Amino acid sequence: MKCESCNKKHATVHLTEIVGNTKKERHLCEECAQSVNTHLTKIPSPTEILTSLINQVAPEINEMSKIACPVCGLSYLDFRTSGRLGCPMDYTIFRKGLTPILEKMHGSTQHVGKVPSRAGKELIKKNELMQLRNELNKAVEKEDYEKAAELRDKIYELSGASDENQ
Amino acid sequence: MKISDLADNTGEWLRGTGPESDIVISSRIRLARNVARFPFLSRANLKQKKELEEVVRDRIKESDIAHDLCYVNLSEVSPIDRLFLVERHLISREHAGGEGERGVAFGKSETISLMVNEEDHLRIQVIRSGFELKEAWKTIDEVDNKLEKKLCYAYSSRFGYLTACPTNVGTGMRASVMLHLPALGMTHHIEKVFNAVMKLGLVVRGLYGEGTQVSGDLYQISNQFTLGKSEQEIIEIIEGVIPRITSYERMARKALVSESREQLEDRIWRSYGMLKAARLITSEEIMHLLSQVRMGVNLGIINDIEMKTLNELFILTLPGHLQKLEGRELDSTQRNVIRAAYVRKRLEK
Repeated sequence: MKCESCNKKHATVHLTEIVGNTKKERHLCEECAQSVNTHLTKIPSPTEILTSLINQVAPEINEMSKIACPVCGLSYLDFRTSGRLGCPMDYTIFRKGLTPILEKMHGSTQHVGKVPSRAGKELIKKNELMQLRNELNKAVEKEDYEKAAELRDKIYELSGASDENQ
Repeated sequence: MKISDLADNTGEWLRGTGPESDIVISSRIRLARNVARFPFLSRANLKQKKELEEVVRDRIKESDIAHDLCYVNLSEVSPIDRLFLVERHLISREHAGGEGERGVAFGKSETISLMVNEEDHLRIQVIRSGFELKEAWKTIDEVDNKLEKKLCYAYSSRFGYLTACPTNVGTGMRASVMLHLPALGMTHHIEKVFNAVMKLGLVVRGLYGEGTQVSGDLYQISNQFTLGKSEQEIIEIIEGVIPRITSYERMARKALVSESREQLEDRIWRSYGMLKAARLITSEEIMHLLSQVRMGVNLGIINDIEMKTLNELFILTLPGHLQKLEGRELDSTQRNVIRAAYVRKRLEK
């Protein structure tokens, strides 16, 4: 069957359009099908198919794919490929993607075991750190790396202080 | 202390003592810890790895963990030495095969071992003979507390101890029990038992952990989850399941004795005979023979050999140990000859 539109190429796209009670069939070649100005759904490209597949299997990847840790440089995709994280900060940076993974892996996302003794004394500092880490997350999401670097240094300074206090 | 000083003995955990030691060979706990402010090892450069190795090693030495702690830099010792340490369960296979600056500290009794720059910056391990997970936890918790004073661990109140692999995050703890289950294997009930075990969130592995083959009817049962349950809860789950498995194994042994005593005795005595007379024994065959004889001793069929000797032979006849004993590299045929000779000598005593 030849294409209805150009009458040259082989018709490979067969569309059935139903408007009210009338049914209309169209037989087009791929090129014409793409260019014909119809309200019909566009045929998805392989990349789009892949993206939709990823969205089904691991919905966070698409959203997280642009994120990389400003501390160790690991990207979220690197993590999903290797299964290994690059530095302690990744748990903060990739939190959104990690939480469902941890839920699946452990059936929980909240630690209830041992607490290092220094953690008790430094609860106040910890809250401050948590705040800074949240801000860091936001900065990374906005791709504001200058701000991220500044926050990273602050976090280092604060968590580093406990190192020297021992 | 040098690595060669270890070759004549084995660790205390192979003594064959402790609760349920006819079936439970050993109880082991390991904790994964990382130092805050350093990247995990996969993202650390050579300089950082070296710095980490120095920092963690020095803090271990300062921490007064055991008076006879010795430290081996793994990048400086031969592949045979590393294999030897793996076989003794002092380091993991991954640690032996790793790259860059890394090491291990352990005491003479080999109860405690501290791996530096394994998958995580620090992995603490305690092994005890028999079914003694609670005791193992007590020891490792103390060691961890001492180190925590010197090292600032990567920790978050949400996710607990932060580890390179998310499968270890939270407690960072893997508790495992090594079981000898020949009768469940012979009566084909082992699969059923393990299916039930896995439903409780536990994993079954071979003698050397992840990805290793089961041989000599030796199995390791350990926790899979590390997040959302406390260390005590995880230990209690394992502690609840082990007595059930050991009672199944005892039932299976009893059934074998009452239903086919002659066949069972024949199998066991033949295995003993082979160990005493064979001139070539492969590493796979010896595990099988030792397993049969071990069950024979447990059932009172064989009386002239100590449990400690049998437990030790499982380790002392492994390739790394034989090569260490001979002080040179050996191919597999040479090892089979030396293995057979070594076992004959040990059983003559």
